[in-house]
Amino acid sequence: MEWTRKDLLSLYDLSAEEITFILDTAEEFKKVSERKVKKVPALRGKTVVNFFVEPSTRTRVSFELAEQRLSADIVNMQAQASSLKKGETLLDTVRNIEALQVDLVVMRHSAPGAQNFIAQHLKCGVVNAGDGAHSHPTQALLDIFTIREKRGHIKGLNVTILGDILHSRVARSNMWGLLKLGANVTLAGPSTLVPREFESIGVKVCHDLKEAVSNADVVNLLRIQHERQSSGFFPSTSEYARFFGINCETVKLMKPDALIMHPGPINRDVEITSEVADGPNSVILEQVTNGLAVRMAVLFLVAGCVQK
Amino acid sequence: MTLRKRLHTPEEIAGAIEQMANAILKDCRSVNCQDYAFVGIYQQGVPLAERLCDAIERLTKTRPPMAKLDISLYRDDFGQRSALPLIRETIIPFDVNEMRIILVDDVLSTGRTIRAALDALTDYGRPDVIRLAVLVDRRNPEFPIRADYVGFDCNPPADHKIAVRFDAEDPIENGIFEVEWE
Repeated sequence: MEWTRKDLLSLYDLSAEEITFILDTAEEFKKVSERKVKKVPALRGKTVVNFFVEPSTRTRVSFELAEQRLSADIVNMQAQASSLKKGETLLDTVRNIEALQVDLVVMRHSAPGAQNFIAQHLKCGVVNAGDGAHSHPTQALLDIFTIREKRGHIKGLNVTILGDILHSRVARSNMWGLLKLGANVTLAGPSTLVPREFESIGVKVCHDLKEAVSNADVVNLLRIQHERQSSGFFPSTSEYARFFGINCETVKLMKPDALIMHPGPINRDVEITSEVADGPNSVILEQVTNGLAVRMAVLFLVAGCVQK
Repeated sequence: MTLRKRLHTPEEIAGAIEQMANAILKDCRSVNCQDYAFVGIYQQGVPLAERLCDAIERLTKTRPPMAKLDISLYRDDFGQRSALPLIRETIIPFDVNEMRIILVDDVLSTGRTIRAALDALTDYGRPDVIRLAVLVDRRNPEFPIRADYVGFDCNPPADHKIAVRFDAEDPIENGIFEVEWE
C-alpha cells in the first residue's frame, strides 16, 4: 500500500494495514535516532505549529524533538498565550495560523473532536496530540510499536489496560488500534472507572485485578489522577493501590515475560510500585524512546503527501 | 502502457556487469585500495550491487562488503507526491569512514536520486572516495552528476521510461526495457 492521508486524527479511522504501515515506517526512524547524525532533511522548509490548548510536557517535547530531527521549522503555541483567551474562536485561531503558510498543525485540545473539526476546515495537515477523553493516536501507536517490538506481533496477544478507562484517551486509542490488529483486549479497574458499556465493542471488562492480569501478555497501566478521588470514583488512592495497584505480588500472578507499560507520568506507589516500575518487566522508558520514532514516522507521512 | 521494447537481454546484462566489475577492480588496484565497498540504492540498485559483488567474488575469490540504501528521507520532491511508499531498510554493515564506495543504481536519469543518495550516505560518515556505477545511462542529467562505470548508454525520448528487471520468474520478463506510458 501507499500512504495518502494528510491528517492523523484517530486510530478508529485507520485500517489495520495503515496502522502497520506507520509502525513499519517508525522502525526505520528508530534507526535514525541510533545514528551518529540523528537528523534527516525530510521536512526541511516545512513549518509545523505545535498548538497545545491543553497543557502537555512529555507529548509536546516528544513532538518537538521529532520535528527537529526531521529538520522542520517549529512554532510553539500555548492556550494561555493565544487569542483564545481574548475570545477568538478556535477556528479563527487556526485559520490565522494557516494564513502564515504553515504545513502542519499538531494540536492538543480538551474538547473531543476538536482536531476533526479543524482538519475539515484546513488545507494543511493536522495531527491529533490528544483530544479530551477521545483519542491520543500517537500514544497508542507507540504503545503498540513497543509491544510489537518485544513480541514480534500483535495478533492473538492478551492486552490488559488497567486503571481509569472512563476518562482515558490513551485507553480508547489503544483499544481501537489493538482490536484492529487482532489482539484480545481486557479493560480493568474499579467498576466506577470501567463501565460495562465497553463490552459492546468487543473488549472484555473486568473488575478483579487477579483475573485481569493472570493471563495477560501485556499490562498497560493508566495514571490515576488524584482529582478523581475527590469526585468520588474511589475512596482513596491508598485503597486504589491496595485493590488495583501493581506490586511485586501482582507481578508473580502474571506470565513471567509479561510487559508492564505506562504512558507516564507515573504515580509511584499508587498504580505501580517502584520495584515494578524499575523492574525487569517494565518497558516504560522504552515507550518514551519509541514515541520519538513513531512521531517522526507520523509527521513524515502526513507532511509527505499532497492532496489531489 | 503502449510500448514495451526490450533493449538488452539478461545475457547482455551479465556481460556488462562483468565488464563493470573488471573496470572497478582495475581502478581499485591502480590506487592500491583494499577497503572498497558497494552501496546499492533501492529498488533496483540493490540486486545490481549484489551482481557486481558476485562478479568481483568470481574474479578475486573474496566478496566485498555491500550496503543497501533507502533515500526516501533525502528526496527533493518531499511533499509533492500524492502517496508515499514504505521506507525500506537501510543496512550499512561497515564503517563508511575512509572507505572507497561504489554507489550503484540501475538507471542514471536526472541525477536527483544520486544527489539524495550522496546526502544520505555522507550522514553515516566521510568516505574517502565515492564512485558511481549504473547499468544504464540515459544521458539527460538535470544535475551535474556523471557515472564512472556504465553498462549501456541509451537515449530514448524524454517521456519514455527505462525499466530494468533482474529476477522475474519468466526469463522473457528480464532485461532492460524501454517503456512508454500513455
